[in-house]
Amino acid sequence: MFDWFNHNKRLLQHALKHQPQGALKHYLTTPLPDLNQPALAVDYLVLDFETTGLNPYQDHIISLGYTHISQGRIQLKQCRHALIKTNKKLTSDNVSIHQITDDDLAAGIDVQTMMEWLLTQMAGKALAVHYQKIEHDFLQQLSLQLYGHRLPLCVVDTLAIERRYLERQNQPIQPNQLRLFNLREQYHLPRYHAHNALEDALATAELLLAQIKHRQRQGYPLKLKDISH
Amino acid sequence: MEIEQLEIHDFLQQTHPLNKLDGATLKQLATAIEITYHPREDVVLEPGHNNHWLYMIRSGAVIRTDHQDGLVAQFGSGDFFGHRAIERGGLIKNKVSCLEDSLFYLIPDTLYHTLMQEVPAFNDYFSQQKNQRLKSALHELQANHDNILIKSRVADFLHPALTIDASLSIQDTAQLMQQQDKTSALVLDAAEKTILGIVTDRAFCTKVVADGIPAQQSIDQVMTHNPVCIDPHSNGLEAMLLMTRLNIRHLPVVQDGSLVGMVTATDLIHHQSHNPIYLVNEIHKATDLAQVVSLSQQIPTALVKLVAAGLHAKDIAHSISSIGRAIIQKVIKQTIQELGPAPIRFAYLVAGSLARNDQTAHSDQDNGLLLADNYEPAQHGCYFQQLASTVSDWLNRCGYVYCPGDVMASNEQWRQPLAVWQSYFERWILTPEPKALMYASIFFDLRCVYGDASLLDELHESVKQLIQQQRRFLAFMAANAQQNKPPLGLFRRFVLEQHGAEHKTLDMKKRGILPLTDVARVFALDAGTALINTRDRIQAACQAGVISSEAADDLIDSHDFLCTVRLQHQVKNIQAGQAANNHVNPDELSSLERRHLKDAFELISTYQDVVSQKYNQGQL
Repeated sequence: MFDWFNHNKRLLQHALKHQPQGALKHYLTTPLPDLNQPALAVDYLVLDFETTGLNPYQDHIISLGYTHISQGRIQLKQCRHALIKTNKKLTSDNVSIHQITDDDLAAGIDVQTMMEWLLTQMAGKALAVHYQKIEHDFLQQLSLQLYGHRLPLCVVDTLAIERRYLERQNQPIQPNQLRLFNLREQYHLPRYHAHNALEDALATAELLLAQIKHRQRQGYPLKLKDISH
Repeated sequence: MEIEQLEIHDFLQQTHPLNKLDGATLKQLATAIEITYHPREDVVLEPGHNNHWLYMIRSGAVIRTDHQDGLVAQFGSGDFFGHRAIERGGLIKNKVSCLEDSLFYLIPDTLYHTLMQEVPAFNDYFSQQKNQRLKSALHELQANHDNILIKSRVADFLHPALTIDASLSIQDTAQLMQQQDKTSALVLDAAEKTILGIVTDRAFCTKVVADGIPAQQSIDQVMTHNPVCIDPHSNGLEAMLLMTRLNIRHLPVVQDGSLVGMVTATDLIHHQSHNPIYLVNEIHKATDLAQVVSLSQQIPTALVKLVAAGLHAKDIAHSISSIGRAIIQKVIKQTIQELGPAPIRFAYLVAGSLARNDQTAHSDQDNGLLLADNYEPAQHGCYFQQLASTVSDWLNRCGYVYCPGDVMASNEQWRQPLAVWQSYFERWILTPEPKALMYASIFFDLRCVYGDASLLDELHESVKQLIQQQRRFLAFMAANAQQNKPPLGLFRRFVLEQHGAEHKTLDMKKRGILPLTDVARVFALDAGTALINTRDRIQAACQAGVISSEAADDLIDSHDFLCTVRLQHQVKNIQAGQAANNHVNPDELSSLERRHLKDAFELISTYQDVVSQKYNQGQL
């Protein structure tokens, strides 16, 4: 916890040395959410990237989808979905999963625009994702490329929440158990058929609410620090 | 990405009454929605607090406890709640809590008020109570075809007319009519175009014989001139009214001045009554049982015709049950002809849907033999054993398969003298263990189909007295009526039974009609009525003051709706070349039908609780 605070503080100090402008400046000068707040009182930006692969140094973001959670409710009016321009050709392998063609991609926004969007949306909020190695790592890599530094972030990872919970209970973890759709089933959330960044962001948002509410029901007055990194 | 492309949008679009919104309004609604989640046992609406959302259940289930009358209601996927509080300005009166982990779509109260004002279908949905909704649905279902004669055209049932020349003699006319099996003849002019007159079989009686006119005279001496004709496009009801008004039974059918045929009162009657009466007649006229077996195969066709004719579900079930009873009566009669007359008095009894007049398709045979008390097993046993097993075998061949529980007269247990039957009922009533209650619920629905009905009356009378002394028994029957619970909802709690090779379906009989039958039986026992039909029982219970008239209306509407849905399903079965069954696949129902079905199930569930509370207070 203390590490986290110091880590973000160092990132912020480092970032401010680069004399940030516009959305980045706004993001950096808005304080991250207070870790001692009740988890349900926090505002979240729930984000999902579709990428060409798992490696942030080589792979690209194809599309993003996000939604907001505020006062424990997912806000459909705050939903966004966008395709991201990339020069890298798609392999037939990942096309079949996401059903996005090169033509669709051409109509998308560039990464700078995407980043400005996200910084504006994210200011003062916790970033909620499922499996942070994608969203967190790609976001930090992109920030490094665009601004020369990483971002201070308050990340809440629904996969990590579940893994920590199971580890504390000394329960073995099955290979596919922590996948988004398997976890949703465990919390009796409906099965979604579509597979795109916005549907996944919504699916993650619903899972986060379910995780928080179930733990509270079991008598834990959850705070943000209990579920974030 | 537009919100229309999200799955949420599909879900909204498929849910009544949101499916009545236009595209722009639905999009506005989808954008305004906020999503929330509550785990099982969480209280969603707490009395005394304020609510400003219309809740729509996306997945899961909730229960609403009504503190005024103690009634509970359960809601599942696609259902709404919270609007009552909104209508009260936000004040929550009834507690709503989660039965399962649930995901909710929240619609702001401001938007709710706007939609109430601007969208009539939305307003109808939220301002009507479920029993009213069900009533209007039922009305819609039945209004489709009120009177079949109105829907039919004269052209549908006319037949060729016998035409003759005016110079033909009376005798020759009579012979022609006899040869061609006609009850009338039309007299045409030489060009065979204009109708000069009509002769009916009645004219031979009222004119030829009564006035003593010689049979060699020409027919124009006795014909009725310029008969009233009808157009082939007129409907059947018009034809019938015309005949009634003029007191005639034959109408020549004329189109654009030329004769196209003849329609008679018999044609109209045949058309209106369809096959059942005809079939019952044929069964009685059959000379051997092989004929009865083949006639019994016409039941599915008769069912399809009755449904197509738009008859009320209760009348259809009554007709099909009459056919079933005609078959068993014929089988018994033929068997007795072969075995010789019975040595003592007996009553052949049927139980179950055939007794209740609730039958729509072939069912298992449930029957028994009630013998007079002078029964001597050594002397008479063999005769009745033979009678019962022969009857049972023939019924099986007619499609009424052997009862899997062996509740048949061929089983000695159910082929006993009155005193033994009385001792059965006494045991069931005094020691109501589960098996006893099962038998009691079968044998409280008895009808005598053959033999001496007074034996059954005697049995009924003694049972009635027993029950009056043993009110506690009602509590057990009430508890027994809880056994088959109707499903709660369509997507989530709709219990779909897996059976055999069939897909997941809903057993309409077991989960809908039987629970209602059980509830009605308890009310009937309380009211002390001997009626067997479920609708009749409900009405009698209402008249006896056992239930309110609102309750009776609710139960009857639910029963009619369930029966109608089942009939439509069975017609689909038959038309697809399958045997009629009770297993409705939710996919065959429209979202509106699912909705109404759910209302009906909720009402049944509520009355099951009412029965349980009414009779079980401090007794179990």
